[in-house]
Amino acid sequence: MLKVENLVKIFSSEDNKVTAVDGVSLEVPNGVFSTIVGKSGSGKSTLLSLLGALDKPSSGKIEVDGEEVTKMRDSKLIKYRRDKIGFIFQNYNLIPNLTALENVMIPMEFAGISKTKRIKRAEELLDEVGLNSSKQNRRPSRLSGGEQQRVAIARALANKPKLILADEPTGNLDSATGKIIIDLLHDLARRENTTILAVTHDIGIAKQAKITFTLRDGKLVNQPV
Amino acid sequence: MGVMSRGIRDAFRNGARTLSIILILALSIAMSLVMLLALKTVDAKINSVKSSIGNTISVSPAGLRGFEGSGTLLTTQDATETKALAHVTSVVETLTGRLTTIGSNSSSFFGGQSNNSSNAQTSLSAPPRQEPSGGNSNGRRFVINGQFVPGGSFSMPITALGINDFSDLSALNASSFTIISGVKIDPTSSGDAAMVGKSLASENNLSVGKTFTAYGKTITVDGIFDAGNTFANDMIILPLSTEQNLSGNTGQIDSMIVTVDSVDNLSSVAAAITDKLGSSSVDVTTSQDQINSAVTSLQNIKTISTYSLIGSLVAGSMIILLTMVMIVRERRREIGVLKAIGGSNIKIVAQFVSEALCLTLVSSVIGMILGMAFSNPVLQALVNNNSSPENGGMRNFGGGPGGAILRFSNGAGSALRNIHAVVGWDIILYGLLAAIIVAIIGSAIPSFLISKVQPAEVMRAE
Repeated sequence: MLKVENLVKIFSSEDNKVTAVDGVSLEVPNGVFSTIVGKSGSGKSTLLSLLGALDKPSSGKIEVDGEEVTKMRDSKLIKYRRDKIGFIFQNYNLIPNLTALENVMIPMEFAGISKTKRIKRAEELLDEVGLNSSKQNRRPSRLSGGEQQRVAIARALANKPKLILADEPTGNLDSATGKIIIDLLHDLARRENTTILAVTHDIGIAKQAKITFTLRDGKLVNQPV
Repeated sequence: MGVMSRGIRDAFRNGARTLSIILILALSIAMSLVMLLALKTVDAKINSVKSSIGNTISVSPAGLRGFEGSGTLLTTQDATETKALAHVTSVVETLTGRLTTIGSNSSSFFGGQSNNSSNAQTSLSAPPRQEPSGGNSNGRRFVINGQFVPGGSFSMPITALGINDFSDLSALNASSFTIISGVKIDPTSSGDAAMVGKSLASENNLSVGKTFTAYGKTITVDGIFDAGNTFANDMIILPLSTEQNLSGNTGQIDSMIVTVDSVDNLSSVAAAITDKLGSSSVDVTTSQDQINSAVTSLQNIKTISTYSLIGSLVAGSMIILLTMVMIVRERRREIGVLKAIGGSNIKIVAQFVSEALCLTLVSSVIGMILGMAFSNPVLQALVNNNSSPENGGMRNFGGGPGGAILRFSNGAGSALRNIHAVVGWDIILYGLLAAIIVAIIGSAIPSFLISKVQPAEVMRAE
């Protein structure tokens, strides 16, 4: 269960204060595919950063499976990101000089899993997301956008996270490939009992989600649809 | 794939850039190695020069240098008084005369300050010194006052060294002294016997038992010697009393080589000799002075090497530092990704440090090969730029009585001539250690920058 209470993030500069996330409260049960929609600058990506512990909130509370993320020290936050969260980015963010297989292996290496087990699991995950073995040893530059996003999904799943946060996962893909990726995420959420929270502009994707949150000027403007 | 192997792969991510960095860094490391070698070699040479020159003091009449200048000769009484001083273990007395070949005109070119005899002639003729190259093979030519002069009836004067003790051979400018035929003369006798240098003996077909005339007296050859240098091998050596009597300088000497019991007492004994004999009467030169003269050039090279070593190490560190800063700045987003997927600062820093280490070690190997290849040429260039007669170069002509100038040349000149850098395992290990230090220093600031990169960086747009 992901639980957020009155979350606020303020960016301050010398003469300006911007409240990117303004008192957001929400709950997402385990194994649910949910989305956040909103216009550019509405605070969607900032909210995702806070949920993934990439950034610290100005105030408020985030709980994942009963653990309060906002009270964690830095060393515990690293562990939280490594074990509980999987990230999927709009521009994939794969390491360019590593192969698809090696990219999927990195989070497991950080978790201290042995090399043999890492290779086995990475191959299974890549098979699962539909990247056949002939492409697993290719570098990202030799994969299509859809294939790179599949690698990114496999990497996000590597350490069996409780929560997958996806920032515009289909933003750089054509609609057909985007649909395949969303179906894949949907399927994973159901099969692995993983909570998925995806930020999107695409109303079609939002309609497939069980819960959709709408953000405007950092505030939730509706309760779950 | 672990942190280290990822770092190594990252080092070769951009081929052209990696090659440039490695080449520049290798040059800097080669420079460091050359300077380290120069420093070590010069240090060893300084110690060797210091230990080879010894604890002697040279005393000569004030104003007299070689066959030049003028001065009142010292006396055997001066030597006796010197010997009585504290810490003096021995005093070698010498008197040097110059003999002209009967019928030659050499005296018009060479004065004879130390020779009081009007009969300073000999039946011997000196081995000629021919023009080194391009000379006319039909006529012998001599270098006089820096100009080549045709030989004709002219011949070089012959040095006759009277000595009372063979315990210190520095008066001969000889590092070794071998009797190749016959026996050593008794330096304390007053007999008409002499030892003849091998070149002089060869020129005059002399062998043991044969005679020649000097100062109008018949002298018997008791031995033929090889002193290992041309100047000494053109000499005759007589007992001191014989030289004094024949040259008309009875009881007089023109040089003393005073041996002191310890290097620590050199200065005090030198001061005592000056006090005893009068500073206006004698010139006193300690081997400490000679050491200082000899090592001046070496010290200059050492200073240059030290600063260059520091400079090249700083340059190497700066190269790797700026490279790594540039790489970290370029890969901020990637660092953000690694942090977002669970990478700790330590692991990410380790990856970048291993990248820096890889670049540095590859550069070190190339740098060491370059350093080994260029160490001796660079060292010789440093030596050549720092040697001159004033600070330790050779003086080729004009030595003679006293031996101070000759000994000076021997120590300082050979110190610079025989200098060679040798690469040992210690140098290679120092080089590797330096490379690791350079890599760590070069990674320090980038590591700090890495720790400051926020994982949220990954969310920012390209």
